Amino acid sequence: MRLIGCILGLFFTFIANANDVTTAEQLLHNMAKAVHTRNFNASFVVSKGKGMEPYRWIHAKQGDTELELLSLLNGAGLEMVRVNDRVTYFEPQSPPYSISTDSIAGPIPEVLFKDISSLLENYDFVLGGKGRVAGRPSQLVRIESKDESKYNYWLWIDTQSSLLLKAAYVNQQGDLLEQLLLTHISVTPEPSSQLLELQQKEFPAPLPMQTVNEQGSTTSNWVIGWLPQGFKLLKSDRHKLDLNNELADYYLYSDGLVDISVFVQRPLPGQRASGALSSGATTVYVHNSGAFDVSVVGNIPALTAKSIAESVQRPL
Amino acid sequence: MTKANHTASRQEVASRVLDGDLPSNELSVAQLDTEKFVRYAQIGDVMRERQGGLNIDITASVAAALESEPCHSVPVGAQVDVQDNGTKVIKLSAWQKPLSQMAIAASVALVAIVGVNTMPQPSGEDTDNLPVFQSTPLAGGVSPVSFSSEQPALESAEKGLRELQQQRIGALVLEHQRQSRVAYSLQKQTQRADEQPEEKK
Repeated sequence: MRLIGCILGLFFTFIANANDVTTAEQLLHNMAKAVHTRNFNASFVVSKGKGMEPYRWIHAKQGDTELELLSLLNGAGLEMVRVNDRVTYFEPQSPPYSISTDSIAGPIPEVLFKDISSLLENYDFVLGGKGRVAGRPSQLVRIESKDESKYNYWLWIDTQSSLLLKAAYVNQQGDLLEQLLLTHISVTPEPSSQLLELQQKEFPAPLPMQTVNEQGSTTSNWVIGWLPQGFKLLKSDRHKLDLNNELADYYLYSDGLVDISVFVQRPLPGQRASGALSSGATTVYVHNSGAFDVSVVGNIPALTAKSIAESVQRPL
Repeated sequence: MTKANHTASRQEVASRVLDGDLPSNELSVAQLDTEKFVRYAQIGDVMRERQGGLNIDITASVAAALESEPCHSVPVGAQVDVQDNGTKVIKLSAWQKPLSQMAIAASVALVAIVGVNTMPQPSGEDTDNLPVFQSTPLAGGVSPVSFSSEQPALESAEKGLRELQQQRIGALVLEHQRQSRVAYSLQKQTQRADEQPEEKK
């Protein structure tokens, strides 16, 4: 009798779990849909470590046209404008350029506004508690990494409008490393006139893009021995960095949620110790391996970055 | 009545009309010192913070002053270069005036090293003991980073090297930020490319 009770209990917890997963996923799907269909005007801040960055985020949908504007309000500024599937980046001191993609690469990982089912391979979706965020009832959805080499991403979603209210990178100990918090959001039936003006503007033509298979030039220069589960090479080339004109062999990896950049460069003069530097969730690990320097940049724990950097070798 | 007396009384009338002591009828208006009256009224308006209370029009006098200003010699060829390279690309300033004085590194590079923790390098096994640069985020307000305040005895060569490394880290962070913009669309492309051979099977 007790055995049957146990089995039944297990069975029900299993069902409950299965239900949880679908609901968490469903919530994320709803959010992605809401973000693409509603007219809203929001402000949020991203707090990383000791710093804060305020942003403004406006979205409009008129007929078949989607318009989106995301701008960084502090410092010299950064403007990102999306008209349907073209995103234009306006940065100080460099000419604006466009990329043909259907989501802005801002502080929120783009995949969350898209098809999140691609994340299921490496992450679990878990429902968290309910609460009140930015004056609205919210539901926590946790995107938990399946192994310990990555951070988790938590989202607080408005239970009424399905819009995002808060998001955070959380480490395996449960500390919030980098938080994004909406300070204000207004959802309107009519699109904002500021965005409608954008329809009349002309933007630079999108840059051409190449997949790894088409490039295939520098992949054999170095062997990157270890990467966390699920990361795939998206791009590799040799180019000069914008700011200091240094030449670097560059590799871009992604697991769908997080991007990792690996740079292999000529070493700086002198014996520099290897070390990590982090701001919020972003880690920069610089590894001095004698004949060359390896730097790893991405929203990953410092230990993971260290392991990646130390695994880079010359091909035998 | 002396002249001084006369002006004093006119001033008094103006003041009393404003205070509402005297009715503002034709008789009192005739006795008004118009200039003083206008000035008093303005002072009153400003003190009561009434909108449009103070409306001093100096454009005429400025224009007149400009007229009489001596004309400095303007070289004929020195026309302002109009930025028209045939591009119809809109500028950033359409929404926001770029603060060009501000270094780009400040806005995009997230971090700057303030000091390097010179703790002894772990011999390799002790991975939990990561050497970590102490970092300060450079969000918004930019202040020049100086190492000298931390370690005044630092040699200049060493300092130059650190600046070089700091510069490199800034460049890496910026490059990562730029490259990750294309990451998502690249990923979709590769996914599509991966799916096609599978469909053929």
